[in-house]
Amino acid sequence: MDERIWNIIVDSFLPLLKAGVAFTVPLTLISFALGLAVAVLTALARLSSIGPLRQLARFYVWIIRGTPLLVQLFIIFYGLPSIGIILDPFPAAVIGFTLSVGAYGSEIVRAAILSIHEGQWEAAYSLGMTRLQALRRIILPQASRVSVPPLANSFISLVKDTSLAATVTYTEMFRTAQQITSTTYEPLIVYTEAGLIYLFFSTILSALQNRLEKRLDRFTAR
Amino acid sequence: MIRVHNLHKSFGTQEVLKGVDLEVEQGRVMVIIGPSGSGKTTLLRCLNLLETPTSGTLRIRDVQLEFRDGRKPKPSEVLALRKKTGMVFQAYYLFPHMTALQNVMEAQVQVLKKSKTDARQIALELLNKVGLGDRADFYPHQLSGGQQQRVGIARAMAMSPDVLLFDEPTSALDPELVGEVLKVMKEIALEGRTMVVVTHEMKFAAEVADRVVLMDEGKIIESGTPDQVLNHPSSERARSFLNRITQREIE
Repeated sequence: MDERIWNIIVDSFLPLLKAGVAFTVPLTLISFALGLAVAVLTALARLSSIGPLRQLARFYVWIIRGTPLLVQLFIIFYGLPSIGIILDPFPAAVIGFTLSVGAYGSEIVRAAILSIHEGQWEAAYSLGMTRLQALRRIILPQASRVSVPPLANSFISLVKDTSLAATVTYTEMFRTAQQITSTTYEPLIVYTEAGLIYLFFSTILSALQNRLEKRLDRFTAR
Repeated sequence: MIRVHNLHKSFGTQEVLKGVDLEVEQGRVMVIIGPSGSGKTTLLRCLNLLETPTSGTLRIRDVQLEFRDGRKPKPSEVLALRKKTGMVFQAYYLFPHMTALQNVMEAQVQVLKKSKTDARQIALELLNKVGLGDRADFYPHQLSGGQQQRVGIARAMAMSPDVLLFDEPTSALDPELVGEVLKVMKEIALEGRTMVVVTHEMKFAAEVADRVVLMDEGKIIESGTPDQVLNHPSSERARSFLNRITQREIE
């Protein structure tokens, strides 16, 4: 192989991996953790007996699912300053991704809760538990097992979607790749490299998903 | 102990309970029989408010509730009543993510606020009593149906309820496993527990019940000692139901 090409591969690898580990990974983890919390709360709101709460949750999911993530990020980062809300790239990206994970995730959590047999609620109630106790101790632990595969989907999607943060000037891995490309003029090589590192991250997550499923499977019949 | 007066329950336009009166005395076993769709399970579920009666009154011990237009009672009243009752379900409904021991401990810790040590001790005693001391650390899916149901009984008893409610506790079991569950129920009955049992097990009714109640189309049509109801029913409908059951048992 051409020595120049080889040098570009080697020289760009470390900065890309560094950007991935230092920026893409934290952005993903923080957004997913917050998004999951929003998802559970939204799912509970959708299932609550309080009408306005249900409507609010439904409205939120409708807006977020119905508009492109890229547009949402642009509104948050470039649009909000017009009404005096100025955010740094990182918080802007976290808010955008959190809202997205929260909306899609809420449907996963809602479906998982609904998939638990009504008898589990009744057994908990018959023992004198409140709705909150039943939810926390009986329903959610079982629902969490059901929701691992679809939530892992969301998680892996999010790893890749964080590349959109480049458009709001957050220098994560993809934006780093763009910067390297602009000086080396080797888009094929640099972007492929970045793609491979995304693939590497996703593969680790898939492996973690498998381990988590095995752990949670200890109580399910096969 | 339990007093039910003029209890009605409708689902939409369908009236399932059409004015039921019932009285169960302390330490007695009442067995409710009747054809499917007669409302016996609904009646049982009204006793711990898994169903809210449309109208009527219900009293268990010192908790008395009046129902009108199907309005739900206050959550505190519901909880108060449920603490007086324990329920054993047809399909067991054990918590699958917990071992047998944890199933029996859970509500003691969460609801009665007992320490884990105390709860564990009571749970182990109860599991021993139902013959499952050696299965404490098994998950429900590792147990047979009969064993699961016995854990279900231990779980209900762990709350020291004033009355135990059984909703067709052997109907989901393979025939060879029915006996072990009935045996445990009989032992509990002999200890002087107050029990209300919905079942199709006529032999259990004859041997264990203090009173038998026969329901049909949302009403109690026979009530009395097992001998009165099972052997000398007064109504034609009761006789035809009992004949059908006997026929089936012979077949």
